[in-house]
Amino acid sequence: MKEITVALAGQPNVGKTALFNLIVGQSVEVANWPGVTVERREGFREHGGYRIRFVDLPGTYGLTATSVDQVIARNFIISGEADVTLVLVDSTIPERTMYLLLEVLELTSKVVVAFTKSDASHSAGVHINYDLLEKKVGAPIVPVSIKTPDSVRSLLDKIIEVHERGPSSQLIKVDYGELEPFIRSIEEVVRGSGLAADFPTRWLAVKLIEGDRDLESRLLKRGEIDILEKARSIRREAEEILKLTMPEAMAMKRFNAVIEVIKGALIIKGLPTKGGERLVALLYKPWIGPLLSMLLVSVLFTVVFTINTGFPLNMVLKSIGLSDLAGFTEDYSLSHVVSRCFDYLSQVVSSSISDSVLKSLIVDGIINGVGIVMAFLPLIATISVVLAVLEDSGLLPVIATSMHPFLRKIGFSGHMVFPIAISFGCNVPGVVAARASPNFGERVRAWLTIAFIPCQARLVVVLAFATALRSLNGLMLMAAAYAAALSVFIAVNKSLVIMYKRRKLYEEPELLLEIPPIHGPIPRVVWWIAWNQVKHFLFKAATVIFLASLASWIMLHYTPSLAYTDDYSLSVGMSIASIASPLLTPLGFNEDLAKFIGFALIVGFFAKEAVLSTIAIVTGEEAPAKALSVLGVSDAQLVFLTIFTTLYVPCIATLVTIYSESKSLKITISSIVLMMVIAYAISVLAYAVVSALVHP
Amino acid sequence: MLNLADAPRGCKAKVIMVGAPGTWGVRLLQMGITPGAEIEVVENSGGLILIRARGSLISIGRGIARRILVELISH
Ligand SMILES: Nc1nc2c(ncn2[C@@H]2O[C@H](COP(=O)(O)OP(=O)(O)OP(=O)(O)O)[C@@H](O)[C@H]2O)c(=O)[nH]1
Repeated sequence: MKEITVALAGQPNVGKTALFNLIVGQSVEVANWPGVTVERREGFREHGGYRIRFVDLPGTYGLTATSVDQVIARNFIISGEADVTLVLVDSTIPERTMYLLLEVLELTSKVVVAFTKSDASHSAGVHINYDLLEKKVGAPIVPVSIKTPDSVRSLLDKIIEVHERGPSSQLIKVDYGELEPFIRSIEEVVRGSGLAADFPTRWLAVKLIEGDRDLESRLLKRGEIDILEKARSIRREAEEILKLTMPEAMAMKRFNAVIEVIKGALIIKGLPTKGGERLVALLYKPWIGPLLSMLLVSVLFTVVFTINTGFPLNMVLKSIGLSDLAGFTEDYSLSHVVSRCFDYLSQVVSSSISDSVLKSLIVDGIINGVGIVMAFLPLIATISVVLAVLEDSGLLPVIATSMHPFLRKIGFSGHMVFPIAISFGCNVPGVVAARASPNFGERVRAWLTIAFIPCQARLVVVLAFATALRSLNGLMLMAAAYAAALSVFIAVNKSLVIMYKRRKLYEEPELLLEIPPIHGPIPRVVWWIAWNQVKHFLFKAATVIFLASLASWIMLHYTPSLAYTDDYSLSVGMSIASIASPLLTPLGFNEDLAKFIGFALIVGFFAKEAVLSTIAIVTGEEAPAKALSVLGVSDAQLVFLTIFTTLYVPCIATLVTIYSESKSLKITISSIVLMMVIAYAISVLAYAVVSALVHP
Repeated sequence: MLNLADAPRGCKAKVIMVGAPGTWGVRLLQMGITPGAEIEVVENSGGLILIRARGSLISIGRGIARRILVELISH
């Protein structure tokens, strides 16, 4: 079968993901664009005797080299790999979104245009005469909507038509008016450049007069400095005459061309403010807005975490005396159900294997590792769904915007609201969500510090320590732990900002977001967005988490001389603990206890909850409070342990996620060192203060 | 003439100059905030500014807004 390759181009929010999924269905393949971590998705569709390959380009507002996304998009369109370029225009905001179409038309004439969301254009007050518009543009225009899946058939017909027709000279060109002579002079100059073999000369001239960084550096690389200098001097001349910078002038001309095209073919009526917009306006009010946003976000995630882990509803129920109900919410939460299934599996397997090493490897290593991944899965899935609903309904940018003024104070932009909020439940999806920020420095600071936000696994441990206290108030200790964690989070971020500023690396966190109209979420779109996230977790993080749990099994079951052992006290983990134990002796732990506590903390490195189970195993006491008192741990020491557990390295899953997101060993290790040092310093301080107060 | 950060809520204005450097500047221009464009200030309070430009709503941080020069058309 003959094959056609189609590049799919569109601005953010035009409905590109929705249309792509509608066209190619399940046949999606995800990879990365060469050399960068930008996702590249491809899919196939058979139609009219052709196998049509769709390549989803990154969503971009235009094709200037200010971001990798834009360079990827345009290079692919030019490369010749694409037979036809399908450009999407949002039929509810045609003026804004046709800008990209005009930029694409400067690169290629094999173009089909889809006007998306055609079901919604009337209610947005937009009325379009498609026949006239098509004549003026010169390329086929097809209105499409994911609510009428059949509309893509005529789109596919047109793609084949344009492919068979080949290049056309009937398409509209942007008239740059008084800039044309300058563009022509640069065109003359670039004809002598090697670049003219790869790109259309007019387009080169247009982009060089705009000061395109990618093209300029390509000229430099080729050693064509004279061409670059000539182009630059023509640009300066034009800027002096027009009294505008060239990017401004060029964008202005393109929008004028858009207005020229839509004139007569399109009527836009202003509509009365809708409920959605009033809500947006409310979220923007000082104080009320951020408070409402915070309320909304906390309610949503409280529900999500309760379904998944029972927390925090179980705490509330317990505190008002309904411990039966609290136990019920915990036992029937998704992650408990999952881990019970795995416990059951472990029992079945261990009763059928007799070899003890193999049994331990399969049960404690493999099944346990898969179990940890699977216990995270429902949580990641539900959070993805909630975020997808917020994204699809258009609430996400509104909430991010209303929280922006607050987060700015610690060097974050509104984009970080969700990563931070989610992290109170679990740091793993929190770190993943930090992708939302377009600012790299901001993402680095998030990777380094998000783990200071106490997740609920830490709460479980803190709670156990709190109940073991003798004379101090447990609730106070918990409050102190949270206060310490949040203060550290804020203080470290502020210091990082100061550090970055000194090194002149700081970029003020800014916000520039399109706020799409609020609407009810479309289930199909929500599913697509959420599934994409979950897949990512399963393939990237899950494999490493699994390997890490295998590594932890080895650490706990092998002696330093690599012989298998059942006795923890002989394991590699314990030898590491004895090296680290001198750090604990100043806190009044005797040598044995120091070794043992160190060991529990090392195990906690793999999963925080494991601190408790380790203490339980070694003392043989199920209840942590009792176990701790058997060990003779004092109140001041408990305070130390509480603060330390809250602040030190969160868990292996979070670290793995930090690594898989940052792709940087340096950042991952820095985050570990940062957390260890700060946790130790603050918890020793807390120990000193408490012991001074309790035993004056 | 004044910068967008000082434009009162509810006013209509014409963009004179987009002075934000680099990536932000180009992004603004591509989003339709070009010299000559008519915009409406939908909200301007606290740290944020919400405008309507070429049919879409856009939220702009104060730092960026300060570098956009506009001329008031009406209140
Ligand atoms: N009414 C209507 N809404 C649509 C249609 N297609 C997409 N949408 C909505 O438009 C918004 C953007 O859709 P997406 O498919 O995520 O757009 P995108 O271009 O991939 O956007 P990015 O993911 O930001 O690049 C979502 O809120 C969708 O629900 C449509 O045919 N009709």
